[in-house]
Amino acid sequence: MSTPPLIKVQNLKKSYQTDEVVTPVLEGLSFIIEKGEFVAIMGPSGSGKSTLMHILGFLDRPSSGTYLFKGQETSGFTDRELANIRNTAVGFVFQSFFLMSKTTVLENVKLPLIYSAEPAKEKKAKAAVEAVGLTYRLNYFSSQLSGGEKQRVAIARALVNNPDVIFADEPTGNLDSKSGHQIMEILEKLNDSGKTIILVTHEQDTARHARRIIKLLDGQIVDDSAVIDRRFVKDGGLNK
Amino acid sequence: MDLSIIKISLSSLWRNRLRSFLTIAGIVIGIMAVIIVFSAGEGLRGLIMAQVESWGSDFIEVETKVPSAAQASAENAMGQASITTLKNADGQAVAKAPNIKDVYSAVMGQAVVVTDQDSDITQLWGTTASFLNIDSGKVALGRFFTDEEDESLARVAVLGSEAKVKFFGDSDPLGKSLKIGRHNFKVIGVMASKGAIMYMNMDEFIYLPLTSLQKLIMGIDHISFVIAKLKNTDLTAATADDLKILMRERHNITEADKEDFAVTTMVDAIDTLNKILGGVSLLLIAIAAVSLIVGGVGIMNIMLVSVTERTSEIGLRKAVGASEKKIMLQFLWEAVFLTFLGGVVGIALGIGLSFVISLAAASQGFNWVFVIKPMSLVWAVGVSVLIGLSFGLYPAQKAAKMDPIEALRFEV
Repeated sequence: MSTPPLIKVQNLKKSYQTDEVVTPVLEGLSFIIEKGEFVAIMGPSGSGKSTLMHILGFLDRPSSGTYLFKGQETSGFTDRELANIRNTAVGFVFQSFFLMSKTTVLENVKLPLIYSAEPAKEKKAKAAVEAVGLTYRLNYFSSQLSGGEKQRVAIARALVNNPDVIFADEPTGNLDSKSGHQIMEILEKLNDSGKTIILVTHEQDTARHARRIIKLLDGQIVDDSAVIDRRFVKDGGLNK
Repeated sequence: MDLSIIKISLSSLWRNRLRSFLTIAGIVIGIMAVIIVFSAGEGLRGLIMAQVESWGSDFIEVETKVPSAAQASAENAMGQASITTLKNADGQAVAKAPNIKDVYSAVMGQAVVVTDQDSDITQLWGTTASFLNIDSGKVALGRFFTDEEDESLARVAVLGSEAKVKFFGDSDPLGKSLKIGRHNFKVIGVMASKGAIMYMNMDEFIYLPLTSLQKLIMGIDHISFVIAKLKNTDLTAATADDLKILMRERHNITEADKEDFAVTTMVDAIDTLNKILGGVSLLLIAIAAVSLIVGGVGIMNIMLVSVTERTSEIGLRKAVGASEKKIMLQFLWEAVFLTFLGGVVGIALGIGLSFVISLAAASQGFNWVFVIKPMSLVWAVGVSVLIGLSFGLYPAQKAAKMDPIEALRFEV
């Protein structure tokens, strides 16, 4: 038997209820993401892309439908199980970094390990910082870093528990183009080395760094295709 | 126990150290007050008990009492001196009761005393010759007066050590005379210095034969109290009952609330003092408790602010895998650490201030003992941790229940 896909969703629905009004956000999505893919989820605001990422990242539960993660049904997970799977199987990179103030780079990166039973926390955190090329900033406070450096710390934090998948939610949204390119380069390298990456963005140019784009509109998939004219950030330059 | 959660709590308290210290001020003050109340209470109790015990415990006192007033009441304290029904003969009758070794009667008065050296209103202690057999006072110079001198209204006086210096300076007063009221008295003795007993400085007194003070100076025929020394202290309670019956017969009293006297043993006196001290301590502890509750509300308030302020931090912690329980424990630990720290600082300050109080009391000549009961420390720490737990619970639950998505959307 072949290994089950990393992510398999079927007829995934999500709606929010405020008072008497039910607002549907996701209206029956079905797709598969295999291990090692680099997928961009695109769509204008209100399309449901963030909600989809939250559900895929175990920050939220679907209203109905199934979500199989490595073949395991997760829609009925308890708070404790969700927390555990967030801790061990996924990593997040957010638009606004969410580093802890008055805390060093190393301590920030170590954070997920505090909630796990992992041994050698210090060593793993240092290796993750090394992977994003920030070893020289190891003991700097997060407030002393530039925006690009902050986001690299956030990537190191997402990497530190060696997750199955990294979710990046508009990771370049708060950065200048040069820093943005650095971030995308790191994500590309991670994908090249086999890491599954799911990127959420509304920018076509950013999405084109991925190998596959899922386009959402009004809670439905309107397009799901491989990227033909892929953009790369390599050797400091861009080539098509 | 999960040490990493404790580490998170400690480091976030440290990052906000100024606020942390301000937050615990209420707890510090409350715990400090509790420690001081316990320590000062013990000091005061020791002081009073030492005074009471300096009288000895083998005594029964028969004193005047306002009928129907409780013995340890303000009404009695105000009116006691105006009761004139206790007579010299009562003292003599008490002396004949069983289990009584010896008895002295006494009344206090005051009059202007004049010598070449000084002239001043002076406290007078009129008593029977047997006073010296019972009281711890000693004659330093000359002699005390006799029964015969008491019965014959002799005009003789024995000076307290300070009274001697005041009226005769360094010179030998024996055989010299001094004017008390309208009469000249001859000095026959000087008492050894004795210090304060039950807050009266006996050294300032002039001792006179009981009847001489009553008839020649005060114009009265009653006494204030009778002190009876017991043969066997095991029978103290029975003897006190006997004396009560004797006094009722002598004063023709049939109902308890008409009694114009009180029979007090030292055991009763210690009981009464303990009751008063207990009441005072309880009151002070109630005040300290209010301060602790105020401190607890302060903790809750600051914890709620802290939870709101750190909404995105909570969201992030949840995103990287902190369960509700771990978030809850983090904030609960923070509250408990704050109050525990408050308790420890409060204990340190309380012990320090109690020590200063004991030094101040000692410098004023009080025989004050500095006592810190270990139980009071255990209580203080226990109470502060309990405050942390109870007032930290709601904010911690609030943090734990936050939706991670909402929390991550929150911008400070």
